[in-house]
Amino acid sequence: MKMSAILKKEFLVFFRNAGLVIFILYAFTLDIYIAGKGIKVTPRNVSIGYVNEADNLIVNKIISSFHKPQFKQPKMFLNEKALKNAIYNRKIIVGIVFDKQFVNNLISKKQAKLQVLIDSTAAAQAEVTLIYLQNILMKFENNLNLPAKINIIKLFNPNSNTKWFMSLSELMSNITMLGLVLIAVVFVREKENGTWDIMLLMPVRGSLIIFSKILSQVLILMAGITISVGLIVFGVFNTPINGNLLDFYLISFLFSFAIGGIALVIAAVSKTILEVGHLTIVIMLPLIFLSGAWTPLSAMNPFIQYLSYLSPLRYYIQATQDIFFRGSGFFDLLPYFFAELFMAMVLFYIGYKKIGKLF
Amino acid sequence: MENGELRKILEVKNLSVSYGKKVAIKNVNFSLKEQELLGFIGADGAGKSSTLHAIAGVLSFEGEIVYKNYVYHSPKEAEKIKYEISLMPQGLGLVLYDFLSVKEHFDFFRDLRGLKKDKEYENRLLKMAGLYEFQNRLAGNLSGGMRQKLSLILSLLPRPKLLILDEPTTGVDPISRAELWNIVNEMREDGMSAIISTAYMSEANKMDKLMLFDEGEIIASGTSEELIESIKDYTYEGEIENNKCFSFNNRTYSLKPLNLKKASPTLEGIFFVNALKKGKKPIVINVPEKDIEIPEIIVNAKCLTKKFGEFIADNCIDLKLKKSEILGLLGANGAGKTTFIKMLLGLYPIDEGELYLLGKRIRSYEDRLTLKSKIGYVSQKFSLYKDLSIKENLEYFAKMHSLSVGETKRKIEEFARMFEFEEYLNAFPKEVPLGINQRFSLAAALLHEPVVLFLDEPTSGVDTVARSAFWRLLRKLKENTGISILITTHYMNEAEYCDRVAVLKRGVKIVDDEVKNLHKKYPRLDFEEIFLQIYKENQ
Repeated sequence: MKMSAILKKEFLVFFRNAGLVIFILYAFTLDIYIAGKGIKVTPRNVSIGYVNEADNLIVNKIISSFHKPQFKQPKMFLNEKALKNAIYNRKIIVGIVFDKQFVNNLISKKQAKLQVLIDSTAAAQAEVTLIYLQNILMKFENNLNLPAKINIIKLFNPNSNTKWFMSLSELMSNITMLGLVLIAVVFVREKENGTWDIMLLMPVRGSLIIFSKILSQVLILMAGITISVGLIVFGVFNTPINGNLLDFYLISFLFSFAIGGIALVIAAVSKTILEVGHLTIVIMLPLIFLSGAWTPLSAMNPFIQYLSYLSPLRYYIQATQDIFFRGSGFFDLLPYFFAELFMAMVLFYIGYKKIGKLF
Repeated sequence: MENGELRKILEVKNLSVSYGKKVAIKNVNFSLKEQELLGFIGADGAGKSSTLHAIAGVLSFEGEIVYKNYVYHSPKEAEKIKYEISLMPQGLGLVLYDFLSVKEHFDFFRDLRGLKKDKEYENRLLKMAGLYEFQNRLAGNLSGGMRQKLSLILSLLPRPKLLILDEPTTGVDPISRAELWNIVNEMREDGMSAIISTAYMSEANKMDKLMLFDEGEIIASGTSEELIESIKDYTYEGEIENNKCFSFNNRTYSLKPLNLKKASPTLEGIFFVNALKKGKKPIVINVPEKDIEIPEIIVNAKCLTKKFGEFIADNCIDLKLKKSEILGLLGANGAGKTTFIKMLLGLYPIDEGELYLLGKRIRSYEDRLTLKSKIGYVSQKFSLYKDLSIKENLEYFAKMHSLSVGETKRKIEEFARMFEFEEYLNAFPKEVPLGINQRFSLAAALLHEPVVLFLDEPTSGVDTVARSAFWRLLRKLKENTGISILITTHYMNEAEYCDRVAVLKRGVKIVDDEVKNLHKKYPRLDFEEIFLQIYKENQ
């Protein structure tokens, strides 16, 4: 009864803040779409140039393997100097030099050297481009009857579709940010509007107020997640889900409470909504960097890898990726559920103690 | 007054200000002479602030303003004379930065205005405001009265020829108010003129000339004697219950002759006479009589103490609140009133002392929960949820107090009728006048039938007519339901409506007596004078 009164009040307040509603809708739809469409790690439209001193059919064949959409039509340069200039002037990103001995070495010694110049300002993209190059060249070596043959089968995301990965990563990051902001603001707004004392004077236990307020925002978050997953992840990007969607809701729910615990600490120390904004950014960034949302955990420094166990986002992301791509079942996901539940309990306890002092 | 010899420094011609379709003021004309103090009085929303901001050149307007010989029609044109005009906007210490010290404020405002440092003048200002010893204190740690004095001397820093103060004394205690006036008067002797809006009629008496604003027009102007004279035919002694006349502070105002003794009018009366002339009627208050079992002593505080670090906010205060009694808690800003109320409310833990409610000692968290369900509270700014309509606000409070749906509906209707805000039920708090907000906050505090009501400055910023209605409401509530009320206020003449007053000074209770006894002890003084006297005697 009292809880429903608090929920109703918080929903009314939320929906009457047109600006906030629009921002939340943006973060759950358009922003996810932009991230999925816009952020690319795989090569696309890479401009490539080459110098052909070998002048052999094999070279032409190799060159013709660089095609759209990954590469632009390769440009030929007369000598190495012209090629280097083009890279310095950002005319091309990749330059390949086939020297005179290339074909000979390839056929006779089976050990040909190829000089590749690459502009690695965008390091990740340069790295991936290089792998592409190697793959293309490897095909030729295979044609030349090398002893081993590599047969690649891509698992979980067979077309290496980055949209799927990126949109989910962005969704996780946004849930983190919005969870912190929404839950902290629902308390700090009372401070800012001077209704804090009135709230405390209700003959209701502080725990009920705290829990109901958080629940109202968690429900708003879940609604946002539903819109985002339905409209963008499934609707626009056609991301497959190999696991159970309910598992995803369960882990999202647990994660919201873990984030809610942090938000309570923010709410306890902030006097104004502006302060909530500042603190959220300071806390959100390490949470995201430590989570493996944008960089695989295995690529991190071992020390930072240990630190990442402290980020509730780590378990959420791993579980989500497992649910969507690997199709892990409920029992396989149990470790994540328990880890997230544990994080939620610890963080919530800390946050509850902190804000409880004000009640 | 040798006004004839003094030059005219300001002339306002056909001034109009509108916000979109809403007209704030239309065709206002007046002028101001050197060293003159001009007072603006009127209800909130009457157009006083808009006029002041237009003159200060911070608000677009229509019409013409002439300062000395310079004519301006817009804020842009007013740029040239801004260094001679200083505006202090409404709100306690709104221009201050909590994390800057007094001295740093001086440095900042001096640099901002591009002024040369004048040590002598600055020290004089600081001494006038009594802040000379506190130059290193952060503004955030100053009391309300000190903050307001600091704001005032900062606006005097550029040595303005014209000072514009928008309700500088609202929410400020009588002591600090007197000090603020001393500063203004001293600067005036140096040749400064000032326009000041105020809600305190005792201050209006100090002005050379007054203008009464009502719904965007100046409906009366003159010296306070002239204004008082104009209503003497309508003023009668005593208070009566009649829907054709207003009663407040032992006076009754009526346009039709009454069979009562005529009384000497006060400045306040002008608002009531004006309301009557506009065909307004006082609200009819109809509080049903209730017979609830309430013990004789409702709240009993024994030696309550609250410390914030080294600072003792309340030092061993005893207070008894009896059944059906209105107790006024008075004191300067920072005297410990709000802290004391917060302890009674269970919002602050009590450091030392004992608190009994209805004979039961309040000790544990559970006790405090029961305490909360017996108390009604209206805070300083009528803190209500601004995103909820008045009805939704009331429904929320009702549910939090476990009222059933049927009961909630019945109570809301009853209160809306009783306090006359039926037509505003679906409006949002910021869309309605302050007086309505005040009444509906009171309704929100009464929904759960508390045995005691705590009101923290419920009348601050509310206009006279609304205040009189509010006090009549409180009296009726007390008489018919037996509720007891603890109220703080800075309008000292409102203390006349209390049965008893307790005066706090620097965290200590210095007086606790019935109002009629105090009048006997200090004959022929009004309550503001009595208050100042009490404060002086208890150095």
